[in-house]
Amino acid sequence: MNNIEQTHKLLLVDDESDFLELMSKFFKRRQIDIETASNCMDALSLIELHQFDVVVMDVHMPGLSGLECMVEIKKIKPDLEVIILTGHASLHTGLNGMKQGAFDYCIKPVDLDELLEKISLAKKKYALGKSNDNS
Amino acid sequence: MHKIFTALKNSLFPQQPPSLSSEELRNIFTKRYQNFKNLLTANNNALQAMAELEKMYYGGESYRMAAVRSKVSVILINVYKMIQNLLEMSEGKYSELVNTFDKITNELDALIETKATFDQGPFILPFNEVDRNERDQAGEKMANLGELSSLPGIQVPQGFVITSSATRHFLTAEQLTEINRLLQVFDPENLDELYATCEKMQNIVTKSPLPPDLEELIHLHFNRLEKQTYPGCRVALRSSALGEDTAGVSFAGLYSTYLDVNRDTIIDLYKKVIASKYGPRAIAYRRKRGYRHEDIEMCVGCLVMVDALVSGVTYSRDPSEEASEVIRINAIAGIAKGVVDGTKTTDLFLVGREKPFAVVYSEMRQNAQDHSTTAASLTYSQIKKLAETALQLEAHFGKPQDIEWSFDHQGELYILQSRPIAFHKKELSKEKTAPSASSENGDTPILFGGICASEGIASGQAFLVDSREEMLLFPKGAILILKHPLPEWAPLMGKAAAVLSENGSEAGHLATVAREFGIPALFSLQNSMTHLTNGQTITVNSSGRAVYEGRREDLLRQKSVRRDIMAGSPVQRILTESLQHITPLNLTDPKSTQFKSTWCETLHDITRFCHEKSVSEMFNFGKRHNFDKGAAKRLIGDVPLEWWVIDLADGIRQDMDIESKVVRIEDIVSVPMKAIWKGISAFPWEGPPPISARGFGSIIFQSTIRPDLDPSVASSLTTKNYFLISEDFCNLSVRLGYHYAMIEAYIGDLLTENYVTFRFKGGAADMQRKAVRAKLLADVLQKFDFRVELSSDAVLARVKKQPKEFLQQRLQILGYLIQHARQLDMVMNQPQAVEQYRLKFQKDIEEMLNPKTSAPIEEPRS
Repeated sequence: MNNIEQTHKLLLVDDESDFLELMSKFFKRRQIDIETASNCMDALSLIELHQFDVVVMDVHMPGLSGLECMVEIKKIKPDLEVIILTGHASLHTGLNGMKQGAFDYCIKPVDLDELLEKISLAKKKYALGKSNDNS
Repeated sequence: MHKIFTALKNSLFPQQPPSLSSEELRNIFTKRYQNFKNLLTANNNALQAMAELEKMYYGGESYRMAAVRSKVSVILINVYKMIQNLLEMSEGKYSELVNTFDKITNELDALIETKATFDQGPFILPFNEVDRNERDQAGEKMANLGELSSLPGIQVPQGFVITSSATRHFLTAEQLTEINRLLQVFDPENLDELYATCEKMQNIVTKSPLPPDLEELIHLHFNRLEKQTYPGCRVALRSSALGEDTAGVSFAGLYSTYLDVNRDTIIDLYKKVIASKYGPRAIAYRRKRGYRHEDIEMCVGCLVMVDALVSGVTYSRDPSEEASEVIRINAIAGIAKGVVDGTKTTDLFLVGREKPFAVVYSEMRQNAQDHSTTAASLTYSQIKKLAETALQLEAHFGKPQDIEWSFDHQGELYILQSRPIAFHKKELSKEKTAPSASSENGDTPILFGGICASEGIASGQAFLVDSREEMLLFPKGAILILKHPLPEWAPLMGKAAAVLSENGSEAGHLATVAREFGIPALFSLQNSMTHLTNGQTITVNSSGRAVYEGRREDLLRQKSVRRDIMAGSPVQRILTESLQHITPLNLTDPKSTQFKSTWCETLHDITRFCHEKSVSEMFNFGKRHNFDKGAAKRLIGDVPLEWWVIDLADGIRQDMDIESKVVRIEDIVSVPMKAIWKGISAFPWEGPPPISARGFGSIIFQSTIRPDLDPSVASSLTTKNYFLISEDFCNLSVRLGYHYAMIEAYIGDLLTENYVTFRFKGGAADMQRKAVRAKLLADVLQKFDFRVELSSDAVLARVKKQPKEFLQQRLQILGYLIQHARQLDMVMNQPQAVEQYRLKFQKDIEEMLNPKTSAPIEEPRS
């Protein structure tokens, strides 16, 4: 249990550099350890290197989309929880994300309190899964 | 947590050795409990989004397709989560819900995401080939004009229509993708951004070359028109969009019209008319009226210019009164542009609808303003001709018509446009205000007179606008003061409380838009720009043609009810049809044989089903693991309702008899439940409020009382009011009669995890009364530090991260309210009753939280 607590880490994936910068500051102010990636390939590399317990990822990215990236992440770390960020573009985007294994979704522009709450729940679920695995 | 499960295990499995280790049991329970909580959260989110969607629908304010899509998306995702959590809790039982959900999702997808399809046709249609059947190609305006050109005695200018097929040929998929991208990313509330984005979109259109074949075809038809008329002929290019000019939705003056167009300028100006679809006026109007951008396709009419002697607008009935027996004619010397763009003041003639078409009233405003002559702009024979034509067109189209016309120098009448009048009835709460130089209490208005362009009463701060810069600074809710009521001020109509203008008449485009939006408008009001100053609070009574200093509550009480601005729009139609798959609740009775997953028809049904079954699954957890005995216990108390308690962990005194089917409040150790119960039992309920339909109230009252309580019938548990408790957690679901309330709380040692959530929805009365009760509850809760969200008849109140004692008091308040708000909706149409209950609630709550210390404290008997 303690190991998980010590390795709490958030990965934020979005192609908008302004958004990444803003969110990094926001999470750091709340003592949340955060890494950022601007595309799927970078995100996958970071996941190989670090122990993350939650990924927050935009759906619309150049190259592999957020949903495609999530599928790749789940191949490497099936238990890693992914929260997807969507715009208003399509009714199916968020739902498809959920069906493909996302833990939850947030609609942009993001309500930061809502996102924090969802990250916290995702961490709990991840921790619970780990705890069950260890038992 | 470990303590809870050890105790749970010891107390619930005293006789039989558990088949699972305590660690396994703990993991299973934790997971199920997490599923249950996730399901409740998703249920709350789904119901909240449904309430917000209904609020949008019934609220009468405008909403955008993006908002509909977003809310439906939130509902779908949360219902999906509920199903997933229920499936996990029930080990796959109810899997048929997935199919039902997919079916509803597909139906919603078909409604919300399907794009309109258009048939490809010719790029140009000569006028003599156009009638109403061609409106998909020619647009509403030109289809109407083409049709009436074939009527006996009616003349329209010669010309042709450049069709919607031509527009689709002109604008490539890449251009439209870029335009759509721009439309999605800008904030339409920000006028600065609106103008900048519109400029970019319009540039995409105007700077794109026309396909050579289309350009050649336009020139070919122009040449043909020139041969039929006169060398060097000039034309008017008029917008004609699909979907505009339908009843109640005018799109008046939002798109561009160009006059005196020749062969050299026709191509560039054609592109400008097409580009006007993306102008600030049109974008703001479509947004306000519930039209998606893809709902509008632009066509362009190319009509030979009329050498006009006198022009104007005729309404076959007065637009402010559908049943009126007069024809209203606004006329002006020269072309009609000055009438419709609001730059000129017109003469007014009210003409009887019966032969001999007597002029019953007239105002020679035009000449009076010019101080030149008092001669009327129209002769009687012209008035008679206009009246006959108006009735002929009304009879042909079957609806009262708004007709734009010109007489040429040879005395020939040409019809330039005919569309249905958008009537906007106003229901004043008192008798209609007559023109008056003083208000009810005798005060003299600061400005008086003018032309009532849109009836109504409103108050706000004056804000003078005479430039684009000033327009950008216009504050929401202010009174717009103008020199001329030009169509370019239309983007402000969504923000203004009322409009005053020194010029213009009721026949202008801005007047039409003001009437549609239900905004009071008083035009040709002399000196309004000089007499009024920015920030000055005024009250406008356009019906009484008066402006008063300050906010005049006596007048505002007569304020009319605003019409539903979205009525008949494509977005409203989509929402109406979508709601059919979302909000109706068919699964109302959990005891019914039809309370099955296969009977779920809507998303609301699924939420209800999942919620009920999740409670059963929590209960069945005990059953499966041999601790069902006594797990659901009826609460014995003074309140004559069914209250049931399910102990999740450590919520009941450990030394009590686990075989007992009843539990007393003294046996409860759950901190949040005890606090709620303190509120429920603080004051006795006074019974249903006195209402006229006493029988109905009595039925509701009876339906909440069950004299034949049978604690052994645990299977009907889900139909009752139940507490799910642990030492520091409580989830209370209450169904009292026709409303539903839920309180959930966690009160532990960690401040950051503490919360209290309250939901309340429903009732037996109509939506308006239920909404008033919801508002009353919201007001009370806000006073006691809750963060409250109110949507129609639904209240969501939250308070979190507060100390234990503070939250216990909040739970007491909620307990009190669920007990005493029962059936109040039946009397919420009486303002004095609302006030009476507001005061009672506040007084009782204060007394409950601060009991008089002088009262003797009775020691509990041992």
